[in-house]
Amino acid sequence: MRIGFIGLGAMGRPMAQHVQHAGHELAVWARRPECIGDLPASVCATPAELGARCEVVFTVITSSADVEGVALGKDGLIEGMAPGSVVVDCSTIAPDAARNIAEKLGEKGIHFLDAPVSGGEQGAIDATLAIMAGGDAEVLERVRPLLDCLGKRIVHIGPNGAGQVAKACNQMIMVAAIEAAAEAMHLAAAAGVDCAKVRQALSGGSAASRVLDVMGERMVRRDFSAGIEARLHHKDYGLVLEAARQSGVPVPLTAVVAQQLNALMAQGWGRDDTSSLLRVLER
Amino acid sequence: MKIGFIGLGIMGRPMALNLIKGGHAVTVWARRAESMQPLLDAGAKGAASPADAARGNELVISMVADAPDVAEVMRGVASAGEKGLVAVDMSTIAPAAARKIGEDLAAAGVDFVDAPVSGGEVGAIAGTLSIMAGGSDAAFAKARPAFECMGKNIVHVGASGAGQVTKAANQIVTGMGVLAVAEAFAFAAKNGVDRGKVREALLGGFAYSKILENHGQRMLDRNFKPGFKSWMHEKDLNIVMQTAHELGLCLPGSAATAQMFNAMVGSNLGEEDSIAVLKLLERLSGQA
Repeated sequence: MRIGFIGLGAMGRPMAQHVQHAGHELAVWARRPECIGDLPASVCATPAELGARCEVVFTVITSSADVEGVALGKDGLIEGMAPGSVVVDCSTIAPDAARNIAEKLGEKGIHFLDAPVSGGEQGAIDATLAIMAGGDAEVLERVRPLLDCLGKRIVHIGPNGAGQVAKACNQMIMVAAIEAAAEAMHLAAAAGVDCAKVRQALSGGSAASRVLDVMGERMVRRDFSAGIEARLHHKDYGLVLEAARQSGVPVPLTAVVAQQLNALMAQGWGRDDTSSLLRVLER
Repeated sequence: MKIGFIGLGIMGRPMALNLIKGGHAVTVWARRAESMQPLLDAGAKGAASPADAARGNELVISMVADAPDVAEVMRGVASAGEKGLVAVDMSTIAPAAARKIGEDLAAAGVDFVDAPVSGGEVGAIAGTLSIMAGGSDAAFAKARPAFECMGKNIVHVGASGAGQVTKAANQIVTGMGVLAVAEAFAFAAKNGVDRGKVREALLGGFAYSKILENHGQRMLDRNFKPGFKSWMHEKDLNIVMQTAHELGLCLPGSAATAQMFNAMVGSNLGEEDSIAVLKLLERLSGQA
């Protein structure tokens, strides 16, 4: 199949490579062409041109506005893609924005799936991402062989927007767990206890979690280089709180964790790993 | 002075009436024509649009719900092409939105003042609002006689947006203040202690505040009639939290308070006064 990719960052690049290695023909567009580097792919001048060439286009970019621009803006995918073709958006954006993009593309007969992922850069490289899809089930089945190249757990959550709701839930749980790990590590250190031993012991019990394994390990080693850039979690928390507000759902813990993320940003650690929440506590 | 007034809701109506009482020639416009009638009866002229409310006037004032509404009416005001006009928005909106509207108006030759108020419906009727203004000295001076008809404590805080920053700060203090009083009352009640006596005792000490005095009394009376609706306080706290997110500002108390108001909106308490946060606390602690 002819597959397009927009967004060749830490996540998008390995994902595009997996699709290519599975035997598909790869075309790309990047706002900054230097991002394409040595990736052996056809380079397109605009998203519209990319869309005209491809049956399925993946987008892996940062914000709701970016995805809207690439999909619906001038020279956007909507101007090039044929009816029946599919846009798979793996970015983390607002559920409302995903629904809006799906509706606008739908008017031209172009299908849309919101398919945000979890698993980070390592998950993208290992092709072990969790993929939470929102959209038409038949469309998902059509692109499932492609998603199988990217991840292990691919779940159809519901209609358009549902994938982004699931991702918001994912971020709530994950970052709250990072904060919990940071506070535990901070308490252990303040009490003069060996953090590495605490983490090791906890990993065998009821407090065991992927976050404690991965982010806890980084905290113990005091390696705050990103993994996942904290600014992205900060951005996602803005989406989560806005969604909670629109639904009138109280999220007291999320709100407090969001303030710790704000403090992290104020320290200038947005491009470091979110395990830097430990350093916020140490201020 | 010849003044246009846009937005005649719970706050705007009495504010416009006070301008008429102050001897100003007032032209009014509201989205719902029936809102205009009481003002027309009091001697105001009716306008057909926001642009019409600006035309021929020296000052135009808006008092509407949210930033998109302000932006929309101010686009109309700008389109009137009234040279030397000063536009004043007394709604509560985000500081960033106010600055943007100020820039857009400046491009059309209209000077802008953001001048949100505190004091609620009671203050609006009595003409005792606190008015916190942001904008140029000249524009503030021009608007001042109108402010004096509507309010008592009138402060020119700084440049464009500074009024809204001040209002956001006000909502932090009042939001947490109402929650603090409600929590103190829930605490007293669950301990079997008379809340009225607690309030009376606290009023003499360092916990004295206008909120303890006024809102506290209404909590005792279980008078949840607005006043200031909790969905509006939720909206204002959302402005605070979004600004904090953009600036990298850690506001844990405001965040917790905003979630309580969020829960009120979700629990059908949005149309009640913000003191209905007491009801939510009572539910959470099995007191109701």
